[in-house]
Amino acid sequence: MRRRRLAAVTAAVAMVATTSACGASSAGSDSGGTVKIGISTSLSGSIANLGQTGLQGLKLAIDDINKNGGLLGKQVQVVSADDNITPATGASNVRSMITSDHVVALFGPVASSIASAEEQVAAQYKVPIFFHTSNDASLMSKTFTPYAFQNVPNTVMEPRAVADYLAQQVTKSQPITIATFAPDYSFGHDTVDGFLKALKDLHVNFKLVKQEYPPLGASNISSYLSALVAAKPQYVFNAQYGGDLVAFTKQAASYGFFKDTKVIAMYAYAPLAALGDQAPAGAIGFDRAPFWAINNPQMASFIKAFQTKYGKYPTEWAILAYSAAQQWAWGVKKAGTFEADKLIKVLPGANPPTILGDLTIRACDHQTEVPEYVGTLSSTGDSQFGGLHLYEQPVFTAPFDQIALTCNEVQSMQP
Amino acid sequence: MDLASLVTPLVGALSAASSLFIVAAGLTLVFGALRLINLAHGSFYMYGAFLATTLAAWSAHTGLWIALVASPLLAAGMGVVVEVGVLRRLYAREHLTQLLATFALLLIFADLALRFWGKGVRGVSPPRVVRGNLELAGAPVPLYDLVIIGAAVVVGGGLWLLLSRTTLGWKIRAVVDDPEVLAASGVNVRLLYTGVFALGALLAGLSGVIIAPQQAVEPGMDAQIIVAAFIVAVIGGLGSITGAAVGALIIGIVETMGASWAPSWASTFIYLLMILVLAVRPWGLLGTPER
Repeated sequence: MRRRRLAAVTAAVAMVATTSACGASSAGSDSGGTVKIGISTSLSGSIANLGQTGLQGLKLAIDDINKNGGLLGKQVQVVSADDNITPATGASNVRSMITSDHVVALFGPVASSIASAEEQVAAQYKVPIFFHTSNDASLMSKTFTPYAFQNVPNTVMEPRAVADYLAQQVTKSQPITIATFAPDYSFGHDTVDGFLKALKDLHVNFKLVKQEYPPLGASNISSYLSALVAAKPQYVFNAQYGGDLVAFTKQAASYGFFKDTKVIAMYAYAPLAALGDQAPAGAIGFDRAPFWAINNPQMASFIKAFQTKYGKYPTEWAILAYSAAQQWAWGVKKAGTFEADKLIKVLPGANPPTILGDLTIRACDHQTEVPEYVGTLSSTGDSQFGGLHLYEQPVFTAPFDQIALTCNEVQSMQP
Repeated sequence: MDLASLVTPLVGALSAASSLFIVAAGLTLVFGALRLINLAHGSFYMYGAFLATTLAAWSAHTGLWIALVASPLLAAGMGVVVEVGVLRRLYAREHLTQLLATFALLLIFADLALRFWGKGVRGVSPPRVVRGNLELAGAPVPLYDLVIIGAAVVVGGGLWLLLSRTTLGWKIRAVVDDPEVLAASGVNVRLLYTGVFALGALLAGLSGVIIAPQQAVEPGMDAQIIVAAFIVAVIGGLGSITGAAVGALIIGIVETMGASWAPSWASTFIYLLMILVLAVRPWGLLGTPER
């Protein structure tokens, strides 16, 4: 009886000791000269490629930081975990990274639903979190916390940029017929609604002939596609991405769909690489960070380094993750500490140099003033990039202040 | 309504139904004989598709044709290993235990696939001869859709012939009705179970190759297809091949009609349909009540 009580007391003391040790070291004063950052993202399932390439971009950034002497004299270590596309898993991964690994910063997941769960945990424990893939606009408005930062064009910005591009291509007097094809979840619906609203605001004369919402990840879209083809629209706004977009493109091509219809979709590096020379020439693509359209010396050396390390070109997720890490590191150096409360005072309003350029982190919502890129797919392969069919130059870059919500609009939604 | 506007939805519905049938046939066959819902059916499908992409990358022109034979064989091999190694020990247990075992296998195979083939999206092009479309009554009909419809007819016809005209077929039907009597009459029931499971796996692998040229071959396709195949099998009646065909047709038609007339409801219809069937006739349209 006495031994059991002694064991219980020892266990209780040990637990208290570790939690108080956590409290002390969360300021980043770990012994041994290392500091940890955490990333819980989707490394399995259909969005594994987005999570994986984001993680690769982050790791490359940390390697570069460590090669140049680390951060504030400490080497940075990346702790990663798979969230199995489940918000509860993401939240618990992040919680254990904070409490057991004592990470000083977090980097975002792929799915916005998981990002929302992680945002709450990060806010609760006061750890800065950087969203570089999940792009729901509500993360920086409805559920805003000063500990969160987003450097990816959000669900408001992306469709507005596409609408801008389309408005330039069509004559206002002639009505055009439009159909939409989007995965049946919040991102698909929000992006389509945002696109149609932006078209109305730009006074584009259009008629909506069909709206299809196939399930996310559905392999069998024959029913939805045949209905879309039968509607014979001039333009199709497709909000699918990755594998879904590849499947759509292949099946639509076999209908000869691209001959009479201009498809607008997220034709980014991964789907374009998977399609190869089956990439639909003349279609309109939009991309959050296309490596072939961002021209500056930092980006060029990043592309080379990424290719050397991983054997592929960087996806937009890798680019955004790398630049988010650059923003964090710059903030830490500027603040002179890893402490969250000091870091979140330094970053808003600043313009840290990154491979995307010296973009400003807007103070009212911590959104980096990134553009969205829209272009027309080329019929010829780009010899500079291994024969990939990319966008024709010059690529349209929709400027931030034209596509983002104003600070007033955002602040009215913030808690 | 002119003929062209009928042709496109009709081909869409038939193509959707055919893909669903090819995948669901093996699942329902295995349930019929072994009374086992094999969730790893999705894994066999995925491995068939991934092997097709590997072979197509290795040899651009002949890869897919080789895969047409190699993928079903790989899947059948996996099926034998799974049945002998894992499932045979669980036949005495209740259904839930068997289901959980196949679910565990689904997860294990998924993780292994990530290691073998990575996390990216892969693809394979259809053979040149069946790319593009042909005009039927003024509407474009994709050639590969016709291939899939043809494949469904061949698979369905082949299974019907197997089950109704061959000795193996009546043994399979006998083991569904009364395995004890069949064992008593000298048939090696254990070998039969392995054979049926391997056949189900073979069908899954074959469906993976056939459907791959139209799809993106990527992680997560196993979980996605198993849900669809399961719904088809449940609606048609678990254990009935004809039921799977009927179920697939109904879903294809309902989904296409939904996509044309009530797009925001189209994806919900198949679940509503399953609930309706389960409420009115729990053993499916053409199934038999649990023995």
